Amino acid sequence: MLTIENLHVSIDDKLILKGIDLEVKSGEVHAIMGPNGSGKSTLSHILAGKPGYTVTQGSITYLGKDLLDMEPEIRAREGVFLAFQYPVEIPGVSNIYLLKAALNAIRKYHGLDEVDAMDFLKIIKQKTALVEMDQEFLYRSVNQGFSGGEKKRNEILQMAVLEPKLCILDETDSGLDIDALKVVANGVNSLRSAERSFIMITHYQRLLDYIKPDYVHVLADGKIVKSGGSELALELEKKGYSWLEEQAAA
Amino acid sequence: MSTSAQQIENLIGKNYKQGFVTDLETESFAPGLDEVVVRKLSAIKKEPAFMLEYRLKALRHWMTMKTPEWAFVKFKPIDYQAISYYSAPKKKEDGPKSLDEVDPELLDTYKKLGIPLDEQERLAGVAVDAVFDSVSVATTFKGKLKEAGVIFCPMSEALQEYPELVEQYLGSVVPHTDNFFAALNAAVFSDGSFVYIPEGVRCPMELSTYFRINAANTGQFERTLIIADEGSHVSYLEGCTAPMRDENQLHAAVVELIALENAEIKYSTVQNWYPGDKTGKGGIYNFVTKRADCRGDNSKVSWTQVETGSAITWKYPSCILRGNNSIGEFYSVALTNNYQQADTGTKMIHIGENTSSTIISKGISAGKAQNTYRGLVKVLKSAKNARNYTQCDSLLVGDRCGAHTFPYIEIKQPSAQVEHEATTSKISEDQLFFCQQRGLSPEDAVSMIVNGFCKEVFKELPMEFAVEAQALLGISLEGSVG
Amino acid sequence: MAAQRNQYFTEYQELHEEFPGQNLPWLNQHRKVALARFSELGFPSSRDEEWRYINFSQVEKKVFLPKPVESTDQVDRTAVVSYFVDDCFNLVFLNGRFSTQLSDISELPENIFLCSMKKALQQFPEQVSEYFAKATENEDHGFIHFNTAWFTDGWVLKLPENTQLDKPLHIIHVATDSDVLAATRNIAVVGENARADLLESYVSLTTDAYLTTAVNEIFIGKNAQVSFCKLQNENGKALHYSGTYVKQEKQAHFIHESFSFGGQTSRNEVHTDLGQASECELNGLYLGRKKQVLDNHTRIHHRLPDAISRETYKGILDQRARGIFQGRVIVHKDAQKTDSEMNNRNLLLSEDAEADTKPQLEIYADDVKCAHGVTVGQLDETSIFYLQTRCIDKQAAENMLTFAFANEMVDKIKQNQFRKLVLEQLLTHFPQMEMRKEWVL
Repeated sequence: MLTIENLHVSIDDKLILKGIDLEVKSGEVHAIMGPNGSGKSTLSHILAGKPGYTVTQGSITYLGKDLLDMEPEIRAREGVFLAFQYPVEIPGVSNIYLLKAALNAIRKYHGLDEVDAMDFLKIIKQKTALVEMDQEFLYRSVNQGFSGGEKKRNEILQMAVLEPKLCILDETDSGLDIDALKVVANGVNSLRSAERSFIMITHYQRLLDYIKPDYVHVLADGKIVKSGGSELALELEKKGYSWLEEQAAA
Repeated sequence: MSTSAQQIENLIGKNYKQGFVTDLETESFAPGLDEVVVRKLSAIKKEPAFMLEYRLKALRHWMTMKTPEWAFVKFKPIDYQAISYYSAPKKKEDGPKSLDEVDPELLDTYKKLGIPLDEQERLAGVAVDAVFDSVSVATTFKGKLKEAGVIFCPMSEALQEYPELVEQYLGSVVPHTDNFFAALNAAVFSDGSFVYIPEGVRCPMELSTYFRINAANTGQFERTLIIADEGSHVSYLEGCTAPMRDENQLHAAVVELIALENAEIKYSTVQNWYPGDKTGKGGIYNFVTKRADCRGDNSKVSWTQVETGSAITWKYPSCILRGNNSIGEFYSVALTNNYQQADTGTKMIHIGENTSSTIISKGISAGKAQNTYRGLVKVLKSAKNARNYTQCDSLLVGDRCGAHTFPYIEIKQPSAQVEHEATTSKISEDQLFFCQQRGLSPEDAVSMIVNGFCKEVFKELPMEFAVEAQALLGISLEGSVG
Repeated sequence: MAAQRNQYFTEYQELHEEFPGQNLPWLNQHRKVALARFSELGFPSSRDEEWRYINFSQVEKKVFLPKPVESTDQVDRTAVVSYFVDDCFNLVFLNGRFSTQLSDISELPENIFLCSMKKALQQFPEQVSEYFAKATENEDHGFIHFNTAWFTDGWVLKLPENTQLDKPLHIIHVATDSDVLAATRNIAVVGENARADLLESYVSLTTDAYLTTAVNEIFIGKNAQVSFCKLQNENGKALHYSGTYVKQEKQAHFIHESFSFGGQTSRNEVHTDLGQASECELNGLYLGRKKQVLDNHTRIHHRLPDAISRETYKGILDQRARGIFQGRVIVHKDAQKTDSEMNNRNLLLSEDAEADTKPQLEIYADDVKCAHGVTVGQLDETSIFYLQTRCIDKQAAENMLTFAFANEMVDKIKQNQFRKLVLEQLLTHFPQMEMRKEWVL
């Protein structure tokens, strides 16, 4: 589904990613772990197309197409979804409208009619239940005045409604208490399928207790320094990142 | 008022340590101002003809003007005919050729002020021009500066030695018609500092001028002109003190800075003119026009000021950001106590593309003082992608003072990003209690909090001045803070 | 423009006998003093610090005079009624005079007093004199004096203690003709624990220039609550001055929401004097296009302890429009524990638009929390990106955010019917933005 080859990315002439190779197949769950400043969030931003980054080398192929060539909204309509580490507050735009506008934009892109109002409400009702969100949140402005946990749940709700093919979860566990984490994890798990892949970016192993990855990669200083199965995460939990960073530096 | 509030009040009561008078034989004009006085002044200083013409033009214009009333300060009308417009230490026929010839009484004065003019005892790496009443009495390190091609001399000397440079730049940033006090200054300025940094030169040391008003019933009107030619760099410091006198004295200076392409000027002031006594009697009226013209692309001017003195301060060091990518900065601490009044701030005029400006202003008001920030951020249509960030914080000590914030923001370019924030707070009893609980004395606690409040500005000052500024706030607060 | 002032003076001698309250010496005195002061000052100019960004020169180019509507038959009744808001008492003023025929206040509860200024001056002059010019006594500029001298009518509302207006009161100011002067003077007295929701809208049935001047004096009793929404939606040539002057007693609560969409040159003033532990919330939105000049001027006096003030004004300026905000908060020496916040946010959408802002804090008490913030700039790039990752293209995202920026102010309106009305007007003012109602519903 996604092939990243030799990806080099810089911001303001500073090289952040220094040659990333990653292959994600349909239905796989990959965890990308690493210490602060290793380039984890840069990777998520570059996949979603955030302006301000320069790709100096390498390529990203998504479903056979050049991902880097697409505007952020085209990527999104093609099925790339980024759950933000810090979801943006948009005062004055209601949550439900955003969901509807986004869903219809995808449908239009794929040559489908706009969703029927009744059907839409049915979908929404079902998906809000999935993330245990109160219906009242739908009529509030996007993320405005939401708690940290509510914002993250709202991200998962959007993911559930838009049914993307590739979900990138950027530090979704940060700032969540254990109950909120469970709700978010349940939401994500229920969306797992053979056609949908996940990239989870996280600093801690905690999230991986609830969402079990197929692969774990460790990012340090802009490179993947180690890859393995889910047992690698446990090893990191015990030993920290420093031994890998030393290895990388050596 | 609660005890701890009372304590803060007591702590902030300051002693003015620079309030002594020097006994010197001086030569002064009789009070009064007219064309005759201006002609006499120009003649004494043996000025070139253009200078006299300029002065007379300014005087005529000034006569048509009225004292500005828009500032948030109150004072009795000044009788401009009761001021003497020239006072100088009497010296041997042609003035001192070296420090040995300077009146020892004078040298002693500067020593008391902590400004040794003797090069043996000089401040490390700082060249000093000392201006006493109306004239420059000594400039240190002239030789070393000359080697680097830097001109640093009294304005009166520059008029003799480099008249073309003076004629080209004087009044080009602050025209003689600019405002009431600038017009007055243009007519009667007596001396000041002149700096020229040639192309590509990084000035090898900090330049410093020390102003001292000594004589009674005189006004001090100095004029400073700094030109940083292409690619040059200079850091300039200015300090001021005056004796304690019961009557108010007028200080109306004009400072003009010109930064050409890729040049950078850093201008720092520690202003400690006599603020008047606890009842508001006496003190300096500090009515100053300071303006920088960032004429060249990529030029930068940074104003840093610590204003603790003067009965009334009225000054707005400004930047005209004409060159593309030019940068203007203004960092200010203004402390007012007793009956002091300060109306100070800056103007940032964005003309060139990608120009940016930063304003950080910290006002501390105590006693019955009034402290006002007044600032203008103006982005003209031509200033694509201009940026400004302004932060104005006020700290009130006691409940009889005032702190005011009057920003003016005028934006004519849609790609501009302008952000202004202001807050007002006081030293809370909780903060004080917390510090005391951790073992600090109330004096140290207040001093620490105030210094913390001003930290962003102090870090912009050159080392020598940062120490002086902190000490000065320390004196204002309790008498001994390092 | 001395000539214009002289002409107003002469015209006044001709016309004033038609003005209400001619038999009342106290009112005649007010008018006389005001006329003299106006003759001295004229309309304010940009030389005056409080008016420095606004150019009211248009107002000096003509002499605007009162013009009564002879009969309501001359007025397009359907057009007027189209401005009515459902579930409100709708009060109509035509060219500054109350229209009994067009207004609909029949269901007004008996314990609430509401009538035209003209009628009030005939029937209860002492009660009017108790409040008249009491909230404006320190004002000294051309417009206020002009209004005092020239007002032709207005409304007077009085709510006794512990009463409530069960439906909001909607005052519709309609101008029907060119060169008309619509000058009203209005008073609301809201007793202790009483509660009232008011909406005033300013609309035009003409496409020509005219002058509106309206002065509202509002007295809010202890623990009473008043919400006052203003919608200025006049034609593109209209000149508009309106001032709302408020006195709040202890624990009184006042919300003012100003929406300036129309007019050529418009000045909106809201001034309040806060009582102890009282609260005020002043919000505003100004949308400028073409060569509109929209000036907002607010002043909040914190005179006593424990009061709270909140203020947010937003401007969206397109084409050659100019938006102005001047906000002043004064914390007097007895106003300890004051809590005040002021914000002004501006979006400039065109190369020729301009935003001028002057938020001012004057503080004479030490134990206070005061802050103000101003921004002028463009939309937040992170928000645009966020919407793009949610499938929305960049242009649509920008439109949505611009609209959201404005709608945030509309959203603050608590009365559903007012919110709906303002929202509909907002949508018509940015048609090129493809603004869509469903974005917010």
